[in-house]
Amino acid sequence: MAETKEKSLSDEKPKPRVRPIVRLGIFLISHSFHVSVVCCTAGVLALFLLPVLAKNTYISENALMPGSASPMLSNQHVSDGNRLVKDLTNPNSKSSETGIESHKIIAQYMLDLGAEVSFHKFHPQMNQFHPLHFFSSPDSGKIQENYSCSSYGINTVGIIRAPRGDGKEAIVLVTPYNALKSGFGEALSLGIAYSVFSLLTQVTWLAKDIIWLVADSQYGEYAAVAAWLREYQTPKFSSLSAPNAEMCPDVNNLFELKGHSISGSKFSNSFRRAGTMAAALVLKVRDQNEQFEDTISIYAEASNGQMPNLDLINVVNYLAVHRQGLRVNVEKLWSLLNSSWLKSLGEIFESLAKVAKSLYPKWKFGIPATEYVEGTATLASSLYYQALGVPTGPHGAFRDYQVDAITLEISPKFSLDKVWRNDILLRGGRLIEGVIRSVNNLLEKFHQSFFLYLLTSPSKFVSVGVYMIAFALLIAPLPMVAASLYVDANSSSKRSKGDSSTPSAITDTDEHSIAIRSWRWLNSAKLVFIVHLWGAIVSLLPYFISQIPDCSPTTSFMIWVLLSILSLLTLNSVLASPLACAKATQEKEWALVKSVTISSVFIGLGLMSVINFATAEIGALLMVPMCLLAQPLKLDVRAGTLRSFCRMICNLVLGHIAFPPAAFFLLKGMLDGFGNANVGDFWMWVESLWAWNSATYLFIGMVQLPCWVLCISILFHTC
Amino acid sequence: METFINPKSLFHLLLLPCLLLYSSIAYNSSPVEAAMHTNNWAVLVCTSRFWFNYRHMANTLSLYRTVKRLGIPDERIILMLADDMACNTRNKYPAQVFNNENHRLNLYGDNVEVDYRGYEVTVENFLRVLTGRHETAVPRSKRLLSDEGSHILLYMTGHGGDEFLKFQDSEELQSHDLADAVKQMKEKHRFKELLIMVDTCQAATLFNQLQSPGVLAIGSSMKGENSYSHHLDSDVGVSVVDRFTYYTLAFFERLNIYDNASLSSLFSSYNPSLLMSTAYYRKDLYKRRLEEVPVTNFFGSVMETIHTDAAYKALSRRNSGRFEDEMSLDQSVHHIERRMLIKVNDGYEIHDINPELLQGEEGASKCPWSTFRNKFQKAENVDSLVNYGLVAMIPLLVISTWLVQ
Repeated sequence: MAETKEKSLSDEKPKPRVRPIVRLGIFLISHSFHVSVVCCTAGVLALFLLPVLAKNTYISENALMPGSASPMLSNQHVSDGNRLVKDLTNPNSKSSETGIESHKIIAQYMLDLGAEVSFHKFHPQMNQFHPLHFFSSPDSGKIQENYSCSSYGINTVGIIRAPRGDGKEAIVLVTPYNALKSGFGEALSLGIAYSVFSLLTQVTWLAKDIIWLVADSQYGEYAAVAAWLREYQTPKFSSLSAPNAEMCPDVNNLFELKGHSISGSKFSNSFRRAGTMAAALVLKVRDQNEQFEDTISIYAEASNGQMPNLDLINVVNYLAVHRQGLRVNVEKLWSLLNSSWLKSLGEIFESLAKVAKSLYPKWKFGIPATEYVEGTATLASSLYYQALGVPTGPHGAFRDYQVDAITLEISPKFSLDKVWRNDILLRGGRLIEGVIRSVNNLLEKFHQSFFLYLLTSPSKFVSVGVYMIAFALLIAPLPMVAASLYVDANSSSKRSKGDSSTPSAITDTDEHSIAIRSWRWLNSAKLVFIVHLWGAIVSLLPYFISQIPDCSPTTSFMIWVLLSILSLLTLNSVLASPLACAKATQEKEWALVKSVTISSVFIGLGLMSVINFATAEIGALLMVPMCLLAQPLKLDVRAGTLRSFCRMICNLVLGHIAFPPAAFFLLKGMLDGFGNANVGDFWMWVESLWAWNSATYLFIGMVQLPCWVLCISILFHTC
Repeated sequence: METFINPKSLFHLLLLPCLLLYSSIAYNSSPVEAAMHTNNWAVLVCTSRFWFNYRHMANTLSLYRTVKRLGIPDERIILMLADDMACNTRNKYPAQVFNNENHRLNLYGDNVEVDYRGYEVTVENFLRVLTGRHETAVPRSKRLLSDEGSHILLYMTGHGGDEFLKFQDSEELQSHDLADAVKQMKEKHRFKELLIMVDTCQAATLFNQLQSPGVLAIGSSMKGENSYSHHLDSDVGVSVVDRFTYYTLAFFERLNIYDNASLSSLFSSYNPSLLMSTAYYRKDLYKRRLEEVPVTNFFGSVMETIHTDAAYKALSRRNSGRFEDEMSLDQSVHHIERRMLIKVNDGYEIHDINPELLQGEEGASKCPWSTFRNKFQKAENVDSLVNYGLVAMIPLLVISTWLVQ
């Protein structure tokens, strides 16, 4: 392309040599419209091609060697686990109101195995909006004043020391357990963990310590695990824990009883630690289940779209499928599975692949249409949960400390009668044993495989190098269009000035006018800056609104909207009024505004893609077409052609869709149906976002919302 | 070399007057002496670390056990193990290493002398061992004290590639390095024959640069081929032996110290479909015919002996020293004699075929005393000749005195 352009350029104006890269840049800018159409189409197409381009997962780390050792978990261990399940489900153990009895039982069982046991008492932390806590590491300094003895949780922690290990590393096994209203599934998960634990106290091959955390999930699974991790990783050196324990006689009681009953045992009142965590597994068993076979679901997404190392998922997947005969699931968007358009798209790709294969037999990239649909559904869910930035389970707490962790949820096929219970105990236990043995073989942190990936099935993934292409194609036109708009705006105003003024005037004021003109974009930049400032204010508003007591989500949302509009008007009147008069005198002002807007969107998307790719990708899908198409409606109406009419319609539709709440309701409606949509839902959703410190919230507040406002202002520009 | 020549010529000057008569015989016999295969050494190297490379250590220990069983004593084996699998915390059987899932044989039993272990196994130390350039503080047990009569087995296993072998996950031994070390060894008369056996991926490429005569090399795989492990021990949870080594060991398990299996029978025992790679041997530097070289020439310590009639006469003490290696190994006198006969024949054949391999007088044994001893031993056969010579001296004496008068 550059070659042909070079010729044409040399024909038109014989210039001194221009470097090829500059020439290419000029070419792209001058053809920005076509380039942007091609790039955007390619970007969207590439996104849909991702399931086809997905590669099979493979175990990248040599040291792991999953499945090379035969499982040692025997029926003896299973019956041990069964004993614990029976004791826990025994109605006597639930007599105590606080559920302390069951914790005592668990602790007693651990002690009998010879493990070190301790209780960890924690106060659940309410999720609150801390505007300055984004991206900051969780700290131990957050001590709430209003401790009450009634609201605390107790984690039971058992530690097996590796008999010949150096004690520098540990593997964590977590079983969430709510002593007050535990279902049978939770008891069963404890049974599985216990059977593995009892095996691990006997084996000689441990190189890493094993920590079994029974997380008290009465205040949420995540909160319990996060509290324990906070204590583990950032020890408190204050004497705060002592008075707290005194204040609550119940807990004291618990400790004392244990200390007395087993003299000389390994029970300790203090917080116990082992080495740095190599990996963590959260184990759950689902109570009710409508699957046709034993399945195991893997949840991996942590906060802000962080994923554990792919090797961990590979190991679990390999062992579950090839050793224990379990079916492995990852989350899917079920609504996509039945969509006919996706199916036909899959068929198109399939037939294209067939054609390609007939042309050249080595091209084998096609996948069957059904597989494509499933892959897309999984990919979409992978994108969605990463974009949301909210962890999908307690494993998310580990990721905050750079520990690779996943949640395994076992859904047994049959009702949990005796035989099937033993079977699931055996298979689940062997799976956990295999994963622990594999991780035990690890010599370093997980580092060989990918951290940045999207799953299209449990055994297929799209790595960062592939999915970035789709995103890059999508945002590539932005700087070109911005540049071409800027050039256009400048040259057109120059031309108009040239027409109106006499030649002598040009020579006089040439230098001056060029200087002024070249700085004209600053006005637009100012406007864009003001709108972004407003975006920051809007993002901060919920902090104050949440302070209002007894406020329903709907009213909170309304207050938020009102305050936002008010602040926009205020800001506009205070800061932007000088701009208004300047704007009147200048033509093509909207083009400059659009140019600066596009640049800022480009920067915003680029930054976001580093923090959370999925958010940036979804954001780009919404914002890039809106930014590129935005043009004053007045101009389109005046032109009156079919093309401008189409553009107008597109602009109006996009203007509605890209508004964050509208986009939210649309997505929600697509996923759950439009029946039960409520205005307050958006508020709740936003609340959850900031509670999890999701960067998506910042992105919506500070990139997407300002961009939408600017585009709307361009649409309604009076020119 | 010069330091050796000087005492040697001095020694000859001293010796000349009294041994005038049979000096010519001694002179002729010295090249034969230099070419004699007098001792065996083995350098066994496992170059890779980490638990998942258990099999490499098991390979090396298996070879160690085999060569020890076939008669190379511990002080002539340099064993280099890059990691300690036996005491690895992941080892289900602490302080034991197995090369088979039946766990019948613990390779890490009582008498295992590891000379270089863990981080001592580096390319530098390996080359120092081969070339003998040690710091003064290095004990004799860690040195390869071979001479020009030594047959050396060099066995290496680990992870290799095109013309390199990885050491310790951090450095590589290149084929050039190996060839250079071997050349230095040759020039320093540190070996008579050298068998290099390598079990790595693309092992054959490691021999590309070798030039020194007397070197025989065998590798587990050709260029572009992988060497695979033989089987997985699901109890220990790792692969315990590589295919090439496994079949090598299988070959040797059938042998005892008295067997006469030749190197060619070893080399032809490798079945590419079982190895899943092609065993490659390079013999262009090696002059003897492989059919005629017993494997025990390298993998054992069985060497030719020379039959003498006057074994228990005047110089019996020295003679017994000459046989000590074999006496320590063999209980059966009958066998010794049988082997001796065969070996003597072999020895003369070598002499005929390989004159250029044999060193001149200068290349003879570095220790003057041993030369002296050897010469004395040769002289036994000509006891009577000496007597005649003395008688012949009488007329000379008479003539000289007469002349003086």
